[in-house]
Amino acid sequence: MKIRFTLNGKQILVEVDAETRLLDLLREDLHHTGTKEGCGEGECGACTVLIDGRAVNSCLVLAPQVDGKELLTIEGLAQLSQSVSLSSADQGHKCGFHPIQRAFVEKGAVQCGFCTPGFIMSTYALLLKNPDPTDEQILAALEGNLCRCTGYLKILEAVRYAAQLMRGGK
Amino acid sequence: MDEQYVKIGSVEELFQSLQNPGAVILCGGTDLVLKMRKGLLSAKTLLDISDLDQLREIRQKCGCIEIGAAVTFSQIIEEAIIGEQIPILVMALRKLGSTQIRNRGTIGGNLVNASPAADSAIPLLLLDAEAIIANPAGERRVQLEDFLCGPGKTVLKQGEFLSGIRVPIPDPDFSLFFHKVGRRKALTIAIASLGALLRMKDDAIDEIRLAAGSVAPLPIRLYPLETLLAGRRVTPQLIKQARNIIPQCISPITDLRATADYRYQVIGDLLARLLLTMPN
Repeated sequence: MKIRFTLNGKQILVEVDAETRLLDLLREDLHHTGTKEGCGEGECGACTVLIDGRAVNSCLVLAPQVDGKELLTIEGLAQLSQSVSLSSADQGHKCGFHPIQRAFVEKGAVQCGFCTPGFIMSTYALLLKNPDPTDEQILAALEGNLCRCTGYLKILEAVRYAAQLMRGGK
Repeated sequence: MDEQYVKIGSVEELFQSLQNPGAVILCGGTDLVLKMRKGLLSAKTLLDISDLDQLREIRQKCGCIEIGAAVTFSQIIEEAIIGEQIPILVMALRKLGSTQIRNRGTIGGNLVNASPAADSAIPLLLLDAEAIIANPAGERRVQLEDFLCGPGKTVLKQGEFLSGIRVPIPDPDFSLFFHKVGRRKALTIAIASLGALLRMKDDAIDEIRLAAGSVAPLPIRLYPLETLLAGRRVTPQLIKQARNIIPQCISPITDLRATADYRYQVIGDLLARLLLTMPN
């Protein structure tokens, strides 16, 4: 069947099977390999993407279900920094990384990096709704993402810093 | 591999499509997609109701709140009216899955799965919620307790579907309790859970409702305990008496998550915690 959706601001028209997972559509067919497959069971969050502004596990969504929806992946987040249709929160940063990516790099919240796209997408979904979250709210927003390297403290620090960057602080 | 997928656009279309043999309703997919991949469920046709507006509404009606079957857990948690009128539901759903799961998973899906560990069932049992079942002739309502009839089993007949849930708005004076014990806080299937609505009067328990998960074939109300505790003052003796009748209320099994003995112990401890920490 044919489905049509928006991926990182671009219209996509693609043929999919009924049982294809969104994760496989993104990685195998559309070559957006920034989204990772960890557990494949919705436990680890490595495959997190945004559908209509909400974080979801792309391993648990069937591709036909995104027909007519708006998707954002880690590739699209990186592009947001240059996009002309930026929300005010996203404007004013330069290096081609989104402020959340910059924060993760600067705070050392990345080790092996496999879980990082998922953490960043969950962080983005949180900060879209709540630009100034408490630590408790950050931890709740990231509860569906697992990291085996960092011990989470640096991730927490990075999210606090990202929130500050996106609010326009230095 | 030859499954078909249909995005359902109306209730009429859903009734019609349900006539097809091998048709299975799909909504958030957080359980169903996994079951399909593990070969635990085969469907000839997947009927996706996730964009069916009639099943995505939350509305207040005659002292009740009706929640459509396709409403996600996140929508429920964020809906102001639910937070104000039935906060025990929000309290329990915050413990369900993770943000990503709550953004996709639906109340209808959780109930139709009829898992002994269904987190949403605990507050709904406490609230005496009713399942709204749609069939081509109209609708029928059954108490949630009667809707669930065994692990993975409900009273839904061929051609019917769960269209929503009707929740009587409880007395705002109830104190709320929901505690889920698992290996971690997020993304855990309960080893045991206990929920309660409790109202005190003159230093005694005026009314108490108790429900537990993962300690019986289905989430259940603990009626013998409710009867024992109503009207009583909380004393160490009463807590002991309450612990002693727990075996009359639950029938836990030993499985990969915990032993039956541990589950008896956990329910006893949660009950003691509830009684010792309640207001006044």
